Amino acid sequence: MRSLVTTLLLAACAALSLAPAARAETLLFDYVGFDYESPDPNPATFGEPGSGYVGLGTVPFLFAPLVANTALNEYTFVIQGLSPTGVLSVGSFDIINYDSGTVTIYEDAKLGGTTGTFTPNPSGGPVPPTFTDGTAILVGTLTNFQLTINTSNGMGYFEAVFNATGGSQLGNFPLNQRTGWTFSGATGEALNIPEGYAHQIDGQTFLDGPVSARRMTWGKLKNGYR
Amino acid sequence: MAMRATPFVVETTMKRWLTTLCAVLALAAMSRPAHAVGPVLDWDPAYFWMPGATFNNMPAGGIMQAVGTVDQFGSPLDFLNATMPATEYTFYINSLNSLGTTAFGPPATTIYTTFFTGGTIDVYADPTPDAVFAPNPSNGQVPSTFTDLGPPILSGVFTSLVVTTNNYTVFKVGNIEGNINWTGGTLLSYFGNGTGGYCPGLLTGGATWNTAPGVGIPGYLFRHDGKIDLQCPVPTAKSSWGRVKQLYR
Repeated sequence: MRSLVTTLLLAACAALSLAPAARAETLLFDYVGFDYESPDPNPATFGEPGSGYVGLGTVPFLFAPLVANTALNEYTFVIQGLSPTGVLSVGSFDIINYDSGTVTIYEDAKLGGTTGTFTPNPSGGPVPPTFTDGTAILVGTLTNFQLTINTSNGMGYFEAVFNATGGSQLGNFPLNQRTGWTFSGATGEALNIPEGYAHQIDGQTFLDGPVSARRMTWGKLKNGYR
Repeated sequence: MAMRATPFVVETTMKRWLTTLCAVLALAAMSRPAHAVGPVLDWDPAYFWMPGATFNNMPAGGIMQAVGTVDQFGSPLDFLNATMPATEYTFYINSLNSLGTTAFGPPATTIYTTFFTGGTIDVYADPTPDAVFAPNPSNGQVPSTFTDLGPPILSGVFTSLVVTTNNYTVFKVGNIEGNINWTGGTLLSYFGNGTGGYCPGLLTGGATWNTAPGVGIPGYLFRHDGKIDLQCPVPTAKSSWGRVKQLYR
């Protein structure tokens, strides 16, 4: 009887044990805008010591678990708090590594709110306030932020690890699904870059899939320990 | 005794005024970059494929293609609604001819650039939405479900395109950027530059060869999050003499 109970208990444990499944990533939000440096001790270069990376723009598309109404609201984003920790030159490219920063998404009513406006020459001042008004619906940390940029034409890309940490909709994110990653293209060749901004950026943030349980036989579980 | 202006003085003053006037007009008429901020077309996603190619080796002579769905239009096409389910806006890029991949940099941080020649782009408005990124193109659905109702609303040829990738980004990200001369399509006239020609386009955006489910699709080389900007100069800008003088202070 005892051995039967033990077997049953072990089998139940095996069936309930968490095993990593293939995790599908999901698109969380899509963003487009411009970047600049503030502070910007040397306007002739990007990523110099003492500078700070700032990106801002609009978020035209947001996906679950975020809840959005793009017909009624404007969604904007601000990336900031990133200071370069080192630059590696590879040919005409600079690979710039940054310490951690944040990305925040704001929701601002179209009726009665203010449209995000790229104020010229924003460096040295606060982030243009039309991008930070409204409700901060999502705040995330960005770590391992790395920007690669062709110094001859401003073309490049960046990536970072994303971790949802705050905002009015943080509760929508299950505890086991708050991490992901972001990437963006960058270019200095677009003629529509406002005065005082460095690159046009267009990117996406993905959310890693949750770690889920999956069925497993007792034999497979035992094999895992052999 | 008051001095009378001699004909010489009058002529000199007149010349100065004319010179000033011409300078002001010339400066006022100078082209400068357009500051219409939004892209004319934005998409998410587009997928590129090239048989036999990898992210770090796109052999010379290989042909790269792409399909995508437009999700937003900006000026001067902002009268189009890409989110209206009744009409699907898609595009097809074809005939990009690889010149081969060049690698540079140390082993740990190698960057790969691949230039392409040729190439066309066609943008479609389809009242029977059916586009699907079926795996392993070309196949029965790709590119056909992206091109199934002509004529295109826009057609263009690439004058350049470069793919930049690397071996050091954790999430496998790079860039695809190219320039387009618009040549046709039912909405081509909206891209007029005011002098009888058309504003060129800049295709740009990030690319990833990340194959994680939900990001990559089997058989495609790159997922591209990008857009097209019109590289259109503003023909004239009103200015005052004071503002012109400020430029030189």
